[in-house]
Amino acid sequence: MIEILIGFIGASLWLYILLGGIDYGAGILELLPAGALREPRKQVINQAMGPVWEANHMWLILIVVILFMGFPGIFTTLMISLHLPMLALLLGIVIRGAAFTFRHYDAIQAPTSQRVYTLLFGASSLWTAFWLGIIAASLNRGTIDLETRSAWEAYILPWCGLYPVAVGLFIICIFVFLAAVYLIGETEDAALRQHFTRHAMLLNWCVVFSGGGVFLASLAERQSLASAFVRNPATLGVMVLASSLFAALWRFIRAGRIRLTRAVASGQVTLILLGWVLLYAPNAVLTRQKPLSFYDTASPPATLWQLVLALVIGSLFIFPSLIYLFRVFKMKP
Amino acid sequence: MMAARATMAFSLGFHIIFAAIGMTMPFFMSAAHYFFLRRGNAADLELTKLWMKGVAIFFAVGAVSGTVLSFELGLLWPRFMLHAGPIIGMPFSWEGTAFFLEAVAIGLFLYGWKRMHPWVHWATGLVVGISGFVSGIFVVAANGWMNAPSGFDWVNGAAQNVDPVKAMFNPAWAHQTLHMQLAALQSVGFAVGGIHAFLYLRGKAHDFHLHALKIAMTFGAAAALLQPLAGHIAGQHVARLQPAKLAAMEGHFETSTHAPLYIGGIPDVEMRQMKWGIPLPGMLSFIAHDDFNAEVTGLDRFPEKDWPPVLVCHIAFQIMVGIGFAMAFIGLLYFWFLRRGVFPPWFLGILVLFIPLGAVAVEAGWVVTEVGRQPWIMCGLMRTRDAVTPVPGMVYHFYLFLVLYLGLAAATVWLFARQVRAAQTRISLKFHD
Ligand code: HDD
Ligand code: HEM
Ligand code: HEM
Repeated sequence: MIEILIGFIGASLWLYILLGGIDYGAGILELLPAGALREPRKQVINQAMGPVWEANHMWLILIVVILFMGFPGIFTTLMISLHLPMLALLLGIVIRGAAFTFRHYDAIQAPTSQRVYTLLFGASSLWTAFWLGIIAASLNRGTIDLETRSAWEAYILPWCGLYPVAVGLFIICIFVFLAAVYLIGETEDAALRQHFTRHAMLLNWCVVFSGGGVFLASLAERQSLASAFVRNPATLGVMVLASSLFAALWRFIRAGRIRLTRAVASGQVTLILLGWVLLYAPNAVLTRQKPLSFYDTASPPATLWQLVLALVIGSLFIFPSLIYLFRVFKMKP
Repeated sequence: MMAARATMAFSLGFHIIFAAIGMTMPFFMSAAHYFFLRRGNAADLELTKLWMKGVAIFFAVGAVSGTVLSFELGLLWPRFMLHAGPIIGMPFSWEGTAFFLEAVAIGLFLYGWKRMHPWVHWATGLVVGISGFVSGIFVVAANGWMNAPSGFDWVNGAAQNVDPVKAMFNPAWAHQTLHMQLAALQSVGFAVGGIHAFLYLRGKAHDFHLHALKIAMTFGAAAALLQPLAGHIAGQHVARLQPAKLAAMEGHFETSTHAPLYIGGIPDVEMRQMKWGIPLPGMLSFIAHDDFNAEVTGLDRFPEKDWPPVLVCHIAFQIMVGIGFAMAFIGLLYFWFLRRGVFPPWFLGILVLFIPLGAVAVEAGWVVTEVGRQPWIMCGLMRTRDAVTPVPGMVYHFYLFLVLYLGLAAATVWLFARQVRAAQTRISLKFHD
């Protein structure tokens, strides 16, 4: 049963990174200069994200709900130790959602107010993605301290440092990369397509470099993470596979094969996520004292059963309707 | 702790308004859409789209503020959630499911014009309303559990023998959800009706706004007429489940038979008596226990450290009930004028005055439920101060949210006003008569 729930968390995380990632990435992309393409780019992003953005963010809420109902120990630890990054994340989520909606529904589409919305949307996308990275990094950094009495060690040190910052930047690069790849297929306009293609290729390099940055930062912090990563055959294998997909990615991008490009790009991101998870499964959070695993923190079985029931029945409704949603909007009429 | 409380109260108070709109407005929209599909006239289509924009704006803000809440439960009350999560997570997981459907359906509805069969498209709009409504029921059931904890045994400060199903269908869930859903319908119905009454009085497209007013007010007035009954049922349950809350709501200090109900009045906690209220002898006994001579437990039966803030509860309760009866009366008048077929301008003027009152009553009602439960977070079992987060500096957390939400509320109102103004010009041009 716990495995089923871990599966649901994993699946939600995966979908959140891919779908939510595109969503964040699109916002960040709008911060980059585009000259005359600025306005058409905004239109494409509105078109592509409008119908799905609410759904894209439900994955995060799903994770939160599963954690607090099924694994309250993990949930409360994170909410206490990572209080500040969580707060920052929330701030970003609120502003981002509001800015995106306001931009679309403002009855008077004046250039100044539109520019303000776009700026807010972009900046909050960047900000939120960064803090997502900080939180992700803090999970396995082993600096969460359950016993200390010093406020600094309890609420600041768990997430403050070079490594979390590096992961934050890495996540940003991944999200923008995903968005650029995805948006190529969302427009018929040749100039825009080229714009997105150029960004996708550039950002691919950014992903590689910031990924390297994560390793360096982890070495600089004297964590065992980097060496553990290389020593573990599973994670190493996953990484080699991810890198070997580069060749394919570049070929497909150049050839304008949209679906294949998307598949490979999301495959790469999936592999990165997989490597990160494999590294310290089945623990969910590493702390200074003991690792918190899903198994030790699970709720009583009666609760887990109800949770699984809700998720399975929910999926029966949600997945068909999601597929319908994507079909209605992603098929060219 | 006060900062954490204030943050929670503020976030919820903000969210609940948007939630109420999000779960009822889609029904109005679907009704207008239905008329359009049936009769095919342009005014109904315009109205559907107008309300659709309202739904979209309020849904988005409701959704982000709800996301904040789901984190805040942990950020502010980690020690409560540690125990409560496994017990009461169930309605939240169903709520999450319902929201997910709602989010998908709203995507389909907002952007699905001309892409789907018209009736399928109509159905997605209805699904938005239904799933929003259902999720509202779930979340209020979760709140009911805080008032009437059940579905577990409390052994040495920890929960055992957890039964999530029993926790969800706790003794308070039914009356609270009934009352809340009616409250949402009536407050949003009156607000929307009031806005169209205003536009009717000001604008040129009289038929258009009258039609809109009728759709919204029919929902609102029907709910308003049922509400005193639902409130009475709620009161009876509270008398049984949380006598201290009832006593605080009524400023009832001494246990007595043939207990009076006070209209207005200020409870004086020092002197333990009501000042300036108009007593209706025996009414409280009747309301709480259906018997004019029944004994009603007063605050004297509880140690003073377990008293909720009496003054706040009493005032909030009076506000809610006062508005409730006023709205029921207006609802009656509405149906009367509806049958006569004409609405006199003074009546429309009154409707305009009622735009904010539903929201005021909703907030007052939540204050009654929440403040009346103090000092408990889980009634009778866990005190609020034992639940609060150990994180220092919560005041800043509060200020941050205060600024954020005030800004967001101001921006939403501003945006909404722009929408209404633009619509007003457009509609006046198109449908003037
Ligand atoms: C005004 C709107 C309002 C709404 C919609 C709610 N509450 Fe509430 N809540 C308050 C208003 C409030 C309050 C009256 O403002 C409290 C009580 C005392 C305080 O300082 O804040 C509060 C406190 C409060 C606390 C902190 C502990 C406490 O002081 O009791 C929790 C955990 C909740 N509430 C939970 C909920 C849940 C789960 C709700 C919905 C399902 C809910 N509240 C609806
Ligand atoms: C502790 C209390 C609450 C929590 C944790 C909570 C959680 C949430 C979450 C996560 C969302 C966003 C879902 C999305 O993205 O679509 C949301 C929206 C919503 N909430 Fe709440 N909520 C709470 C209180 C309430 C209350 C008291 C009501 C109403 C009675 C309510 C009704 C709704 C509705 C109808 C929506 C859908 C958004 C809309 O239509 O505007 N919620 N809530
Ligand atoms: C007309 C007479 C009314 C009576 C007698 C009444 C009675 C009550 C009582 C006894 C409670 C406390 C329930 C509890 O703590 O479990 C309550 C709560 C509440 N009331 Fe009312 N009420 C009335 C009208 C209204 C109106 C008109 C609204 C809003 C439009 C409203 C909104 C609420 C809300 C939001 C709550 C808290 C949520 C809940 O407990 O479900 N009430 N009411």
